[in-house]
Amino acid sequence: MTKNLAPIDRIGRVVLGVVAAFSLLLLVAPSLIVVAISFEPRGFIAFPPSGFSLRWYEHVFANRQLTDSVVVSLWVSLAVAGITLALGVPAAFASVRGTFAGKAAANAFLLAPQMMPGMVIGIASLFFGAYFAFRASNAMLILALSVFCLPFVIRIAMARLAGLDPRLDEASANLGAGKLETFVRVTLPQLGPALVAAAAFTFIEAFDNVTVALFTSDVRGRPLPVELYYLVQYDSTPAIAAISALEIGLSFAIMLVLARTVGLERLGR
Amino acid sequence: MSHIALQDIAKSFGPVRVLDGCSVAVDKGTVMTLLGPSGCGKTTLLRTLAGFVEPDSGRVVVGGRDITDLPPNRRQVGYVFQSYALFPHLDVAANVAYGLRVRRVSQAETQARVRKALDLVSLSAYADRYPARLSGGQQQRVAIARALVLEPEVLLLDEPFNALDAKLRLSMQIELRKLIERVGITSIFVTHDQQEAMTLSDRVAVMRAGRIEQVGAPIDIYDRPRTAYVAAFIGRANVLPVDIRGGRVAPDPAIAAARADGAAWLVVRPENLAIENAGEGPGWHGTVAFATPQGATIEYEIAVGMAEPLRVVALRKVGEPPAAVGSPVRVRAVDPAACVVLGEGPDSV
Repeated sequence: MTKNLAPIDRIGRVVLGVVAAFSLLLLVAPSLIVVAISFEPRGFIAFPPSGFSLRWYEHVFANRQLTDSVVVSLWVSLAVAGITLALGVPAAFASVRGTFAGKAAANAFLLAPQMMPGMVIGIASLFFGAYFAFRASNAMLILALSVFCLPFVIRIAMARLAGLDPRLDEASANLGAGKLETFVRVTLPQLGPALVAAAAFTFIEAFDNVTVALFTSDVRGRPLPVELYYLVQYDSTPAIAAISALEIGLSFAIMLVLARTVGLERLGR
Repeated sequence: MSHIALQDIAKSFGPVRVLDGCSVAVDKGTVMTLLGPSGCGKTTLLRTLAGFVEPDSGRVVVGGRDITDLPPNRRQVGYVFQSYALFPHLDVAANVAYGLRVRRVSQAETQARVRKALDLVSLSAYADRYPARLSGGQQQRVAIARALVLEPEVLLLDEPFNALDAKLRLSMQIELRKLIERVGITSIFVTHDQQEAMTLSDRVAVMRAGRIEQVGAPIDIYDRPRTAYVAAFIGRANVLPVDIRGGRVAPDPAIAAARADGAAWLVVRPENLAIENAGEGPGWHGTVAFATPQGATIEYEIAVGMAEPLRVVALRKVGEPPAAVGSPVRVRAVDPAACVVLGEGPDSV
């Protein structure tokens, strides 16, 4: 194949390969370095690590404040994934299949939070809460994160719905199924993979979001990202790296499960 | 009493009047084809019968029962979609079983009926395949089996051969015709292909702009088109402006016309015209404009001073050269009785 190329094209290929490899390295290296640092036996951050120890993992699991914040984050993320699915799927239906006045405007409005920086949503939620005398709390965090994540779910569900043949619904009706039965037997099974992907995305996004959480989370029982943010400021030990490594592991596990069940190429849409 | 009766169906989508008072009746066990160009409303009429389209006015009667107000899922009407609309997440057997599952038919009976339906369309070996791994012709047969397994009163097929390549199309048409005869189900096809209509149906309804233009056996419509539009849509036809004098067509008095003197239109098929030597005599005088030997026949275009040349198809003898372009000829009707005289021409709507 390559021997027919002109010299200039051959040089181009080499340059492209080098740039691609370097970019890939930049993407992956920080994660790998964090994982390496997490095994450092001494009490300060150093790379390369001076030895191998699981000391900081023990430290993390023994730290009540940290484990509590993990639990808070897990609950918050699950709730956000549930709420956004419950709201996003019907919204996607309306915006793909519905025919009503102002549909384009409604679509733009639904997807707007995606265009807004998370910090804006966080501050807006804080002021909104203050105005109505809501205290920053887990409930408020869940609400703000749901607003932030809803467009992801709507987008993914819309993309899948738009690809569904409406004739399938007619075929189902022709074979005797009512609307609900058609939804359960035909629409949902085909939407399923997209919904799993949307839920996973939302979960991961809600789990590691700092910008929204910083402004809306409870002072006691902070979620993990906010806890880490304070930890980094006051107590810079390899414990941070250990938590990060655990988070990388969690994301990796979720991606692996998705790749096996849904297929990664579907997640991009 | 006809098995299916569509009575005076009208339907508008916004400002567009898609169906403008359509009435069609189909006898039990026969095959009817709705034939017309795209946009004539034939698919909308079929969808009205299945309940996917609510007519603005008119009644839909099947087996003596008025089903106009029934939702689609409560009609006993099988429908085969143009795209087949197979459920991609279900295998062939599950696709065919779908209607039975919805009806909560027992597991054992479902299995038996699915097996029978797949046998009927010779797809038993493909029961556990998914639709994406079937050819177009196989998908079509699954769609038909999925409809027939419910033993509907009526089978509707929307351009079922459109997605198939030309070679497969003809054999599938014959297969389907045999299948329908075996099952004995009243069927309605939609197509824009007049050849398909001829192959498949007992009767044809030619549609135009939301109305039924003519209904009859395919060969009757071919022989006796009621309008120039029908004549041009079913087969090929010369539609010529003529004068009627004393109950005879002026250029060729051999053709009788049972109408008053004055302007009229003559429909004559290309194979019903013959070329004779030039000279005095009845017929159309002109010159050969174009000749195409096609093996068994020769197709001529004869310029006779009208907007369109006359099209003539003549049988060809081996070794016979076609008439030279530019040579003067006289064209006459072979069988005067096979010509049709109409009051209105091709342009009037």
